[in-house]
Amino acid sequence: MLDKQPAGLVGYSPPTFCFVVHALSRLHRGIMGVPSMRMGLIGQWRDGTAMDDVLPVCHVGLGGGIMGAVVGVPMTPTDLLSDQQRAVDHMVEAVALAGPVSAVGLGSLCAVVGGRGEALASRLNVPVTNGGAATAWALLANVRTVLAQRGERRVAIIGSRSPIGLAVAQALAEDGIHVRVDHRRAAKAGDVEACSGPLEAVEGCQVIVGCGPTGGVLPADAVSPGAVVVDVAIPSTVVGRPHGSVVQLAGEAVALPPGWRRGFWGWLYHVLSGYGPSQVFACLIEPLVLAASGRDRPYSLGRALTAADVTEFGQQAEALGFKPRLAQGWTAFPPERLLLDG
Amino acid sequence: MSYHTQLDAAVWAKVQDAFAAALGLEEDEVELDSKLIEDLGAESLDFLDIVYRLERAFDIKIPRGGIESSAQEEAGGTYEVDGILTDEGLSALKQLMPEVPTEEFVDGLRVTEVPELFRVATFYNLVCHLMAQASQEDAG
Repeated sequence: MLDKQPAGLVGYSPPTFCFVVHALSRLHRGIMGVPSMRMGLIGQWRDGTAMDDVLPVCHVGLGGGIMGAVVGVPMTPTDLLSDQQRAVDHMVEAVALAGPVSAVGLGSLCAVVGGRGEALASRLNVPVTNGGAATAWALLANVRTVLAQRGERRVAIIGSRSPIGLAVAQALAEDGIHVRVDHRRAAKAGDVEACSGPLEAVEGCQVIVGCGPTGGVLPADAVSPGAVVVDVAIPSTVVGRPHGSVVQLAGEAVALPPGWRRGFWGWLYHVLSGYGPSQVFACLIEPLVLAASGRDRPYSLGRALTAADVTEFGQQAEALGFKPRLAQGWTAFPPERLLLDG
Repeated sequence: MSYHTQLDAAVWAKVQDAFAAALGLEEDEVELDSKLIEDLGAESLDFLDIVYRLERAFDIKIPRGGIESSAQEEAGGTYEVDGILTDEGLSALKQLMPEVPTEEFVDGLRVTEVPELFRVATFYNLVCHLMAQASQEDAG
C-alpha cells in the first residue's frame, strides 16, 4: 500500500483519491517501473500483464488532505485492449494499492475498457469516475473563449456522438451558438444541425471542436484557412497538416493551481504523460474534485454524462483553484493571439 | 462464419441490449441491418465497448480484428495491397459477411473502410459462430 511518505513530497498525507493509468508504450512501461524499482519492467523481461505488476506511480494533489495516488497498470494499449476483463482485474488490484480512498479516476484507455469504467465501478465500494465531466468542462470553457475572441456564433462538433460531444453540443446550443454535428443521432436536442459526416459539418465553420475519443477523421484540407480547432481527441482529429493559418489547440488542458503538489515522481509523470510540467489534463482532476466535494456518485461513468454534472463539476473545480486554459503542447496559448487583424 | 437465417430471440435480445448500452440508444433503435457507423453513430471506442459487453453477455472471447484475420486467412495471403483490398480479399469478406449487400464490396475498398460495412447482424452472426464453436469444443 502507498502508506509511506513519497520522496520529495513534504507534509504527506494518505491519499483520498486515486487515478489509474496504464503504459503508453513498452518504453513507458519500463519507466513506470522506476519509482518502485520494478527491475523486471525496467529491464523489459516482464511485460506488465501479471497481476503483481501493478504499481504505484506518484502522488499529486493540493495538500491539506486532498492528495491522490496515481497507480499504474503497466500494460501497453495493445495488451490492455486484447483482454478487457484482465485489464479490469488489474485495475482493481491497482486501486487497492492506494489504500482507502473516496474516489477513483481513470486515465486514457483505463477510462475506456470494461464499459468505460462501469465494470470497475461494479467491483469497488467507492465512486469511479471516468474523466468525461472534467474533459467536457475544460473543453467547453476553452471553446467559449475561442468563440468570444473570434466573435463566432457557429461551431462544428466532430465526434459528436461521444458522451463529451453530446454534452458540449447541448451546452453550446443552449448558449445560442449554431452547432453543426457530424452525425444525425447527435442532433436529438436543441438547436443543433445534423450533418452527414465530418466533411459536411466543418463546411464554412471557423471553429471546430474535436470531441471524439480517437481522432484521425478530418482531412486537413477540409479545414478552412484561418479556422481554430479545439481538440481533445488522441490522436488529433485533423489528419495531415492544415493550412498554415489554422490554429490547433489542446482543449482539455488545465492550469496548475497554486499549491499543486507532486514531488519528483509526480513531476516526471506530468512530463512523460504528455501534460508537460505546468498543466494537467482535465481527467486527472476529476477524482480529486469528487473526493474533495464529498459527492458519493461519479460525475461521469459509462456513457452517462449530463450537462448538470458538467456544470457542478466545473463549479467545484473552480472553487478549488482549477482553471482551463488553451494550450499548444506543453505551453499555454494566450487567447488574445486568436484576435484577427483588423 | 455461418449465416444464421433463423433469428434466435434470446441471443438477439442480448445482442440488442449490448449495442444499446454501448451506444447510448434505446433497444428498439438497434436493428439487425443497422450499420454501426452510418446508422448508429458508432465510433472506434464504441466498437471496444460493444465487444466487451458481448463477451460478458455470452461468455465468449471475440478476437480483435477477428473478421479481418479470418478474411486474410481465407484470401491466402493476398488480402490487400497498399491498404486496398484485392479481389481475393473482397471475395473473402463477402463470404464472411453475407449480411452485407454484395454491391457494397466495391473495387478499391480500403482496409480502413471495412468497419463501415459492419451491421449489427455482423456481430450477431459472429456471436452465434463463436458460441457454436465453444459448444463443439465442449462436446469434443
